[in-house]
Amino acid sequence: MWLPIIGIIVGIILGLILPWQVPTNYASYMSIAVLAALDSVFGGIRASLENNFKTDVFISGFFGNAFLAAGLAYIGDRLDVPIYLAAIFAFGNRLFQNFAALRRHFLIYLRRRLDDHNHEEK
Amino acid sequence: MKKPIAGQLALTLVSLILGLMLAAQFKNVQRVGGNVSRQRTQELIEQINKLEQDNEALQNQIKEYENIISSYENASEDETLINELTKTKSIAGLLPMEGPGVVVTVDNLYINTWDGEQQTVQNVHYDDLLRLVNELNAAGAEAIAINNERIISTTEIRNAGDYIVINTNRHSAPFEIKAIGNPENLEAALKLLGGVVENLSQILDIKIRTESNITIPGYEGPINFKHAQPIQDKKS
Repeated sequence: MWLPIIGIIVGIILGLILPWQVPTNYASYMSIAVLAALDSVFGGIRASLENNFKTDVFISGFFGNAFLAAGLAYIGDRLDVPIYLAAIFAFGNRLFQNFAALRRHFLIYLRRRLDDHNHEEK
Repeated sequence: MKKPIAGQLALTLVSLILGLMLAAQFKNVQRVGGNVSRQRTQELIEQINKLEQDNEALQNQIKEYENIISSYENASEDETLINELTKTKSIAGLLPMEGPGVVVTVDNLYINTWDGEQQTVQNVHYDDLLRLVNELNAAGAEAIAINNERIISTTEIRNAGDYIVINTNRHSAPFEIKAIGNPENLEAALKLLGGVVENLSQILDIKIRTESNITIPGYEGPINFKHAQPIQDKKS
């Protein structure tokens, strides 16, 4: 559970230190890709809590979603169709759902621990 | 609750990449100040279009007024008045002129470096142009234009960034200086031993050719007198 969070923190620090930059032209696609990646990671955490985490599904979903979202946004820009809105909606929606699921898991976990605790005291 | 170690590793690795992406995106937003929204872009484009249209309308208005002025001028029957007007305009540099003269082209001097790349020795500087214009005037040039900007009494030639501003318009090398006058005199003055061209040739690419007929446009910008007033005193 803690490894992904440590990973994110290390990644952010590395990213801020390294002089790596995205060209300004592609910044908008990068933002969509970031959203997709964020969604994938939340989905992964949720799946691992539900014990149906599959590495291949997770990895392919992470990169696939990121590239698909950025690609669709790019094509949308060429065609003047705001497809990026669809990506933002879909991933944003999923993000909230995943977060809600995580929250329930966490609450159930807390309640169970509380019950166990009360049991022992009795 | 046993978790496969490979899955944990994958999750961590992907989180690392996500962190990198977040940081990159963050830096981008810091640098560019976020995306300019499409709506804003659209607004700005519309503003530009509107201003361009306004500009065009005003240009047309100027042309109309000029037509009115010329119709008044033409309506005048007085021969001496018309002659006087033409003479005054010629002196002010408002009329296009033609006649024999010289054409001086001034460009940056390029040299080939050892690895085959072209490099400029020095860019054309505003005072190079000023010295040439000065020399031409001294040699009796009657009308001078640089890149078709007529040189009049108020014309500035000055550096502004990478450009040289002449009559408030930006120009860059190569420059073409046209001067009407006695071609032999003008050429001789420029090519004087130890003169302007000989000095500047060391750092610039200067070519001079004489022509039997050169046309030089008139000055087309505005001339306003806000502070200077003509003195209406005829005692002399």
